[in-house]
Amino acid sequence: MAAKKKLSIQDLAKIREKTKSLMTIREGEGRARVTVHMGTCGIAAGARDIMDALLAEIAKAKVQDVIVTTSGCAGLCNAEPMATIELKGQPPVKYGDLTAEKMRKIVAQHILGGKMVTEYVLGVGSETMY
Amino acid sequence: MKQYRAHLLVCAGTGCVSSGSFKIKEALEKEIRKRRLQDEVQVVATGCNGFCERGPIVMVQPDGIFYQLLKVEDVPRLVEEHLLKGRPVKKLMYVPPAEDKPVPKMKDIEFFKHQRLIVLRNRGRIDPEKIDEYIAFDGYEALGKALSKMTPDDILEEVSASGLRGRGGAGFPTGKKWAVCAKGKRTPKYIICNGDEGDPGAFMDRSVLEADPHAVIEGMIIGAKAIGAAKGFIYIRHEYPLAIKRVEIAIQQAREYGLLGKDILGKGFDFELEIVQGAGAFVSGEETALIASVEGKIAMPRQRPPFPAHKGLWGSPTVINNVETWATVANIIRRGAKWYSGLGTDTSKGTKIFSLVGKINNTGLVEVPMGISLREIIFGIGGGVPGGRAFKAVQIGGPSGGCIPAKLLDLPVDYESLTGAGAMMGSGGMIVMDDKTCMVDIAKYFLNFLRDESCGKCISCREGTQRMWELVSKITDGQGTLEDISLLEELAIAVKDASLCGLGQTAANPVLSTLRYFRAEYEKHVVDKRCPAMVCKEIVSAPCQYICPIDQEASSYIGLIAQKKYEEAFKVIRKDNPLPSVCGRVCSRACESVCRAGEAGEPIAIRALKRFVLDWAREKGLPAPARFPVTKAEKIAIIGAGPAGLAAGYELVKKGYPVRVFESLPVAGGMLRVTIPDHRLPKERLQDDLDYLVGCGLNIKTNMTLGKDFTLDDLFQQGYKAVFLATGAHKPLEMGVPGEEAEGVLQALEYLKDHHLGIPVSLGARVVVIGGGNSAVDAARVAFRDKRVKQATILYRRTRKEMPAYPEEVEAGLEEGVKIEYLVAPVRIRIKDGRVVGVECIRMKLGEKDASGRARPVPIPGSEFQVPADTLILAISERAYTPYLKDSDGLTLSPEWGTIIVDPASMATTRPGVFAGGDVVSGPSSVVEAMAAGKTAARAIECYLEGRSLVCPHEVTRPSVYVEPVKLTEEEARNTKRAKMPHLPLGKRKSGHEEIELGFTRELALKEARRCLRCELETRDAKKAIGREK
Repeated sequence: MAAKKKLSIQDLAKIREKTKSLMTIREGEGRARVTVHMGTCGIAAGARDIMDALLAEIAKAKVQDVIVTTSGCAGLCNAEPMATIELKGQPPVKYGDLTAEKMRKIVAQHILGGKMVTEYVLGVGSETMY
Repeated sequence: MKQYRAHLLVCAGTGCVSSGSFKIKEALEKEIRKRRLQDEVQVVATGCNGFCERGPIVMVQPDGIFYQLLKVEDVPRLVEEHLLKGRPVKKLMYVPPAEDKPVPKMKDIEFFKHQRLIVLRNRGRIDPEKIDEYIAFDGYEALGKALSKMTPDDILEEVSASGLRGRGGAGFPTGKKWAVCAKGKRTPKYIICNGDEGDPGAFMDRSVLEADPHAVIEGMIIGAKAIGAAKGFIYIRHEYPLAIKRVEIAIQQAREYGLLGKDILGKGFDFELEIVQGAGAFVSGEETALIASVEGKIAMPRQRPPFPAHKGLWGSPTVINNVETWATVANIIRRGAKWYSGLGTDTSKGTKIFSLVGKINNTGLVEVPMGISLREIIFGIGGGVPGGRAFKAVQIGGPSGGCIPAKLLDLPVDYESLTGAGAMMGSGGMIVMDDKTCMVDIAKYFLNFLRDESCGKCISCREGTQRMWELVSKITDGQGTLEDISLLEELAIAVKDASLCGLGQTAANPVLSTLRYFRAEYEKHVVDKRCPAMVCKEIVSAPCQYICPIDQEASSYIGLIAQKKYEEAFKVIRKDNPLPSVCGRVCSRACESVCRAGEAGEPIAIRALKRFVLDWAREKGLPAPARFPVTKAEKIAIIGAGPAGLAAGYELVKKGYPVRVFESLPVAGGMLRVTIPDHRLPKERLQDDLDYLVGCGLNIKTNMTLGKDFTLDDLFQQGYKAVFLATGAHKPLEMGVPGEEAEGVLQALEYLKDHHLGIPVSLGARVVVIGGGNSAVDAARVAFRDKRVKQATILYRRTRKEMPAYPEEVEAGLEEGVKIEYLVAPVRIRIKDGRVVGVECIRMKLGEKDASGRARPVPIPGSEFQVPADTLILAISERAYTPYLKDSDGLTLSPEWGTIIVDPASMATTRPGVFAGGDVVSGPSSVVEAMAAGKTAARAIECYLEGRSLVCPHEVTRPSVYVEPVKLTEEEARNTKRAKMPHLPLGKRKSGHEEIELGFTRELALKEARRCLRCELETRDAKKAIGREK
C-alpha cells in the first residue's frame, strides 16, 4: 500500500502507470504471476488447498520471482477451483477443475519449466471486454 | 441493437496494453471520426487474444482479419485502405505458422465467447483487496472526471442518456430516479446500495462485491455527487462474509486515499460510506423495507408513493440502487453514454449479468448484451442440459419471476420481453430445468419460500401465499380437483393485485407462469393422478410401481425378499401378475429405467428378482392354487390366449365370472409360446404360468379360430354377455424390396412360429437376418443353433446404440457367434433359379433425427455391395390382422394400421359388449403393455356387466402392503453395483435351446434386494403404516 495520503487526480494516473507495469509481467520484476480465483465459489470448491499447494511448492523451489495473488470468481463456477498463470512474454493461461496434485504439476512444469500442462488448460488468453 | 458494418476489436489484454494498444485504440477512434465512419464502424476493446507477443493486435470483424504489431503511424493507412476502400492491408497482417497441437483460446470457448464484460470487466484479473490494482485498470478515473469536469446535471444527463435501467429487477430508469432525488429540497440526502441478494440461485451481487468492490464504491460516489448526498450505505446480507470483508477493506483503502471522506481528490466534495449488514429477510430486498432496516426498524415495506427518491431514509430523499447498477455507473461516466447505449436493445441498454444454475452444463456467472436470446445463453454459453435430457423451462428472476418454456427459447432477453412472457428480469437468476422437473412442484417450492418470507404486513400476501401453497400442496399430494386449479388462479390474481409491496405483487408469478405454460401438467396431477416428471412422491410413491403398466408392487416384493419372506413376496407378485414366470424373463422392464438407484449407480435388477421369487416357489413346490369360485352368471368369451387375453381372463375369473378363452393355435400363450425362443423363455416356464391360470379356473380352448369355427354373433347367441378380442399382430410387414417372393426368403415371425410348433423349416448354411428388433436377434440365434447353419448375420440400418432389441440379447447373440453388420440396408434380393442366393446392400450413415427421436439412416451413394445368403429372414415388423371380422360385426378399424379402434380408458370397441386390447389394438408392443390392456378391459367388462360407467376415476399409486426396511451396513449402503446375472457357459449353448440366464442364487438375490432404496416408504401413508409418523 502506498503512503497514506490524499490523492489528487494526477496521483491516480501515477498509481495507474506504476501498478500496471508491476502487474504486467513483461515489464515487471517477476517471471510469473499466478492468480488463484478466490470468490466464494472458488473457496467452496477448494481454492485454499490450491493456494496452499502453490505456496508450498514455490517455497520448496526457493524461487523469488513468482508473484502469487488472488482474485474473484472467474465466471465459470463449475470449473472451480481455477487459477491463471501468466509468464513473462506469454499470454495468460487459465486452468480449471484443479486439485492440489494438479497444482503441484503445474508449478513444476509450467511455472518453473515454462511448459503449459495442456491437459488441465481451460483456455489461453482472456475474455472480451466491451 | 445498433448495427455496425464493421467492428475493430482492439486487444486490451495486459500484454497488448503494455505494448500500447490503448494508444492504437485512440488513434483508430480519431481516424474513424475523421473519415466520418463512426456510425458504421465500432471500436471495441477485447480481452487478451492469447497472442501477446504479436501485440498490439486489432481484429477486424466480420472479415476476421488479424492485424499485428501495430504502430500509431500505421493507423491512418489501415483505416483508409481497409475501412474506406475495402482493401485489407497485407503488410500488417498476421501469417499463422503451421500450428502444432491447438490449445483452446479463451475467446473461442463457447462459455466466454458470447459474453461482453462491463460490470465484470475486472473479474479474475485484479486482486479485490488492492485498490492500486483497481486503479491500474482505469479505476477512479470516472470519479476524477465527474468531480473535475462535470456538474451534477452533466452526470444526471449522462446517466439518463446511457439508458441504464435498475438492475435490481424492476428496470426503472436510473437517470430518472436520480433526477427526482436531485430536485428534492430536503437535506441531508442519502445513497444506498441494495446488496440484499435473496433469490435462490442468484449470486451476481455477491460476486461483484467480492471481485470488484471499488467499482460499486466509485459508482456510489459519482451518484452522491449527482444528487448531492454526503452519506451512503451499502446493505449486504450477513451470510455474505467474504463480500462484507472485501467491501470493508475497500472502504478503508478508499478512505486512506482520500477517495472517501472530506474534499475528495481535492475537488471539494465530501462523502462517507458505511456498511449495514442485513439479517437475511427476503423482503429487505424491497427498497422501503430495506430503508426501514437501515433505520434500525423491522424490515417491513410501506406504501409507495412517496417513493424513496422523494421521502426515503429518515424521511430524506434517497437513491437506492442495486449492486450491479452501481457497478455500471463509473463505466458510463468514463466511456460515455453513447458507448454504453451502443450495446443492447431499443429499450434495454448495455449488458446484464445472469447466474446460470440448475440443470445446465456450465454453471456460472455470465454478462451478456441485452437482447441476446435465451437459447444463446442456455445452449450457447451454458452448454445445454446435462445427460442429454430435454430442456423443459427456465425460471428467471427468482421466486418473484416466472418460468419460460422451451417454445420461447428464442425470446430476446430484455425487460419488456420477459415481463410479456410472464417472467421478469429480476436480479438475473436463471434456474434451468429439464424434463425431470415437475412444474407444479416448482411452484410449490417457490410458494413455500415466499410464505416463509412474507413479512405479514398485508393480508393478501400473508394469507395469500399461505393459501396458494396449501392448494398447490394439495395438488402435488394427488388430492387436488379441477376446482382447486381455478381457485388457485383466482387467488393468484388477487394476491398480485392487492399486495402492498413487490414481494406480494410478484409472489403469484410462479403459479401464474406455470399455469400459463404447463396447465396440462397441473391437470394430469388432479385428473389422472399422475406426475409426468415423477417428482411428486405422494402421487408417484415408488417409480417402479408407478411406471409399471400392470401396477406390480416391485419395491414391496423386493423389500420382502430382503427380509427373506419369499412366500409373501410371491403373493405380492401374483396378486397383479398372471404371468410372473414370463415377466421375470422377458419383460421390457420400464421399472428399471426409472429406478432411483440408477441415478447415482446402477438400477436394481427388478426383473431378475421377480424371477428369483418364482424360481424359489417352483423349487419349494407351493401347493396348487385354489380355484376361484364362480359367483357370477354372465359368461365372457376371450379371443386369443396371449398375454392380453390371459391377463383379462385371470382378472375376470378372480371376480367370479365364468370365462372361456378361445385360441386359434394348438397351444396357449400366443407370441410368448411361438415366437420367443426357449433360450430366453423355456416352454416349461410358460407352462407353469398357464397351469396356474387353469388351476384358478380359467378355461382355455385351443384350435378354435374366430371367423372360421365361430363368429362374434355366434358367441352372443350362445349366451356370452361380453367378448374381449386379443388376437395380436401376426401379419409380417413386407420390406418393399424386389425379390421377397423368392424361395428361401422367410419371415422371422413365421420361421419362429414353425420352429416352435415343430413344423420343419428348410435352412441353408448362410443365414442372413434383416432387422434390429428382438425378433431379428431371436431368429438369428435360433437359426444359429440349427446344425445346418454355419453362419448367421444380422443386417441393421442404424448402429448398435439405436437397436430396439434388448442390449443383453444383442450381447449374448454376439458372444454366441452371430455377426451383426451395422449401417447396412438391403436394396435388392438376388435370386437364381427362383431361390435366394444373396442380398445386395448399401451402406448407410446416420442423418437427422426422425419422429421417433432416432437418427434417420441415409444411404451412401455408390456403396452397394453383395452379401451371399442361402436363407434370408426378414424381421421388419408386424401389424394387426383381423381377417375374421365382417362389416356386420360393427367394429371400427384404423385405416392406416388395421388395428381395432377402442376407447383407451376402457378398451371398449364401437360395438357394445365387445372389447379389444393388446397388439391388435396397439400394434406390436410389449408383453406387459398387452397384459395391462387385458387388465383394463377386465375392469371395464365388469363395469359393463354391472351397468356402471366404464371409466373408473384414477387414484394415486400405492402398494397394498408396507414392508419394514432392513438395516444396512456402511458397506452395503455404499454399494451401487448391480448383481450380475449368471449365464449358461458359451460351450453349452450351441448344442441346444436351454435357458441362458440361470437366475439369481439366494445370496445374489438378497444382496441385490437389500440395495433397493424403497422409495415407496417416503409417502405419508407409508410413514404412518410403519410407525415412523403418527
